[in-house]
Amino acid sequence: MIAAQRAGVTYRYAGDRALLVEYGEMELDLRLNFRVHAVDDALRADPPAGLVETAPGFRSILLSYDGVRPETLIEHLDGIHDGLEERLEIPSRLIRLPVAFDDSETRKAVRRYADTIRTDAPNVEGGTNVDYVVRYNGFADREELYEAVLGTEQWAGFIGFFPGLPFMFPLDPRETVFVPKYNPSRTWTPEGAVGLGGPCYSIYPVESAGGYQLLGRTLPVYDLRGRNAVFRESPLLVRPGDRVRFHRVEEDELLRLFENVHADRYRYEIEDGTFDVGAYLDWLPSIAAEAGERRARRDQAAAETPVP
Amino acid sequence: MSAVEILEGGIQTTVQDYPGRRGLLAQGFFPAGPMDHLAFRAANLLVGNPEDAAGLEVTLGNVSFRVGADTLAAVCGAEAPVTVDGAEVPLWQSVQVGAGSELAIGPARGPGFRLYVGLAGGIDVPPVLGSRATYTMGALGGLEGRSLAAGDRLPLGDARGQPQPFAARPEYVRDWELRAMRGPQSAPDFLTEADMEMLFTRAWSVNPNSNRTGIRLEGGTFEWARRSGGIAGGHPSNILDNPYPVGAVNINGDLPVILAPDGPTAGGFVVAATVIHADLWKLGQLRPVGDTVRFRETTIEEAVELDRALDESLRPECLERP
Repeated sequence: MIAAQRAGVTYRYAGDRALLVEYGEMELDLRLNFRVHAVDDALRADPPAGLVETAPGFRSILLSYDGVRPETLIEHLDGIHDGLEERLEIPSRLIRLPVAFDDSETRKAVRRYADTIRTDAPNVEGGTNVDYVVRYNGFADREELYEAVLGTEQWAGFIGFFPGLPFMFPLDPRETVFVPKYNPSRTWTPEGAVGLGGPCYSIYPVESAGGYQLLGRTLPVYDLRGRNAVFRESPLLVRPGDRVRFHRVEEDELLRLFENVHADRYRYEIEDGTFDVGAYLDWLPSIAAEAGERRARRDQAAAETPVP
Repeated sequence: MSAVEILEGGIQTTVQDYPGRRGLLAQGFFPAGPMDHLAFRAANLLVGNPEDAAGLEVTLGNVSFRVGADTLAAVCGAEAPVTVDGAEVPLWQSVQVGAGSELAIGPARGPGFRLYVGLAGGIDVPPVLGSRATYTMGALGGLEGRSLAAGDRLPLGDARGQPQPFAARPEYVRDWELRAMRGPQSAPDFLTEADMEMLFTRAWSVNPNSNRTGIRLEGGTFEWARRSGGIAGGHPSNILDNPYPVGAVNINGDLPVILAPDGPTAGGFVVAATVIHADLWKLGQLRPVGDTVRFRETTIEEAVELDRALDESLRPECLERP
């Protein structure tokens, strides 16, 4: 239910202890996520009285509070929004991760789903979700899908669902791939599975349920036990505002790297840096026409493909 | 330091604390903590513990343990036979338990589904990420991040306090009323007024697949205000992934799920209503077979007032004096 409305901002009640702030319309516009991060940083730098914590989404932030009226938070946020300056750079690390497409563990998850939950779902035909994603987007073959996944950096918009699970969005809109989620959802997913739901990529941090179509598997992104050096500072690999770039490996290589992660022999490839928002926004118009054409082709294929 | 030795673990017994693991929503951690915060807090209060002390959450009873030193214990929650060395003791009241004694909780036949054990001094397992609450899916908190089993030993803090009963014992039923506020995503943007009316009038059956991540409900289908979820997916329940509050009535396709303390922090489904904080405790007492839920729409003003009254009933000054 709407608590207050401003230009480009909707405040919604989320019970008596949380307020959901939404920006813009429901579109895959990364500028909305940049804005979310700017507002979240401002809230963390100068938390208003009663704010317990914040949880960003793609175009929204949930504010948990205690002992204050939501109106006081809305007033505080109005002030942040009024003073918000367009940021030109966002601190952003680049994390390079190997991916083994259509590996045996994710195929096992698909098979288990088909055996125990739903046999007739179009997304599990052939014991894999990959062919369904190919078909839904009108790709000529699997290779064309893999090129789209590998051909862009993924923007980690926020972390959520389970501990350390990054929700990631392609920075190059020409490589955007869409797919509907499972219906109903899956009860088992292997650790490290790379999933796609709607336009959003995720990496499963622990064995868990899930609803995204599975493309393959990468390395661990969460380890509370700190078996690898990268997890000793924080049990979570990916932070909001990081970028992830996948490169392709065969499954036996991935399994070897997986072991090396746990044995603390693997060093994650992480580059510190910043993301140049200005340059990015200047670049977008130059590829907009091409992105639009590809999108139209994918929409057409989607319209002809059954939904789970 | 004294200890508790588990003799029978039951189907799911975990160490919990209140309000659980806060400040980590943005990293994907829901708070964990007791499903029924009222019974849990009452049990702590009755043994003279500070509110953040850790205790046990027992699912459906059939649990027993031995204490290593004289202590004060309180069991609050679903109706079940509770004994100390075979002699029956009352619920919602603290009792002395001597060193080497065995406290046993029999089967909880209902109404209600969970029981909470407060022990003077609190369960003294090390906090993980700021809390002792067990979150089994993330394998953290409590004892090794898991449910307890026979043979487990838990360290216990120092004991203090006097036996006393709890005055504001809540009523347990089979057909529960949960007060909830509309939204964040309700009518007219996502659902129709007819959908909201159905949500707030129908008696929803609690599905057997309910657990600490969520209470699954059955009983109706929605007509939806939108034709599809647009870029977020084919089904009109789909939205671009966003954060969820505890108590969210999350509509997964056509299945409403009330998100509980171990649930997902974010996802891509509409949240039609949110259970108010003062009624969240009821999630812990819903029996997954046979119980029903009716949502009653309330306002933020009433929610705040009910929460204040609940806090008031848990103040030490409000305990009955024997």
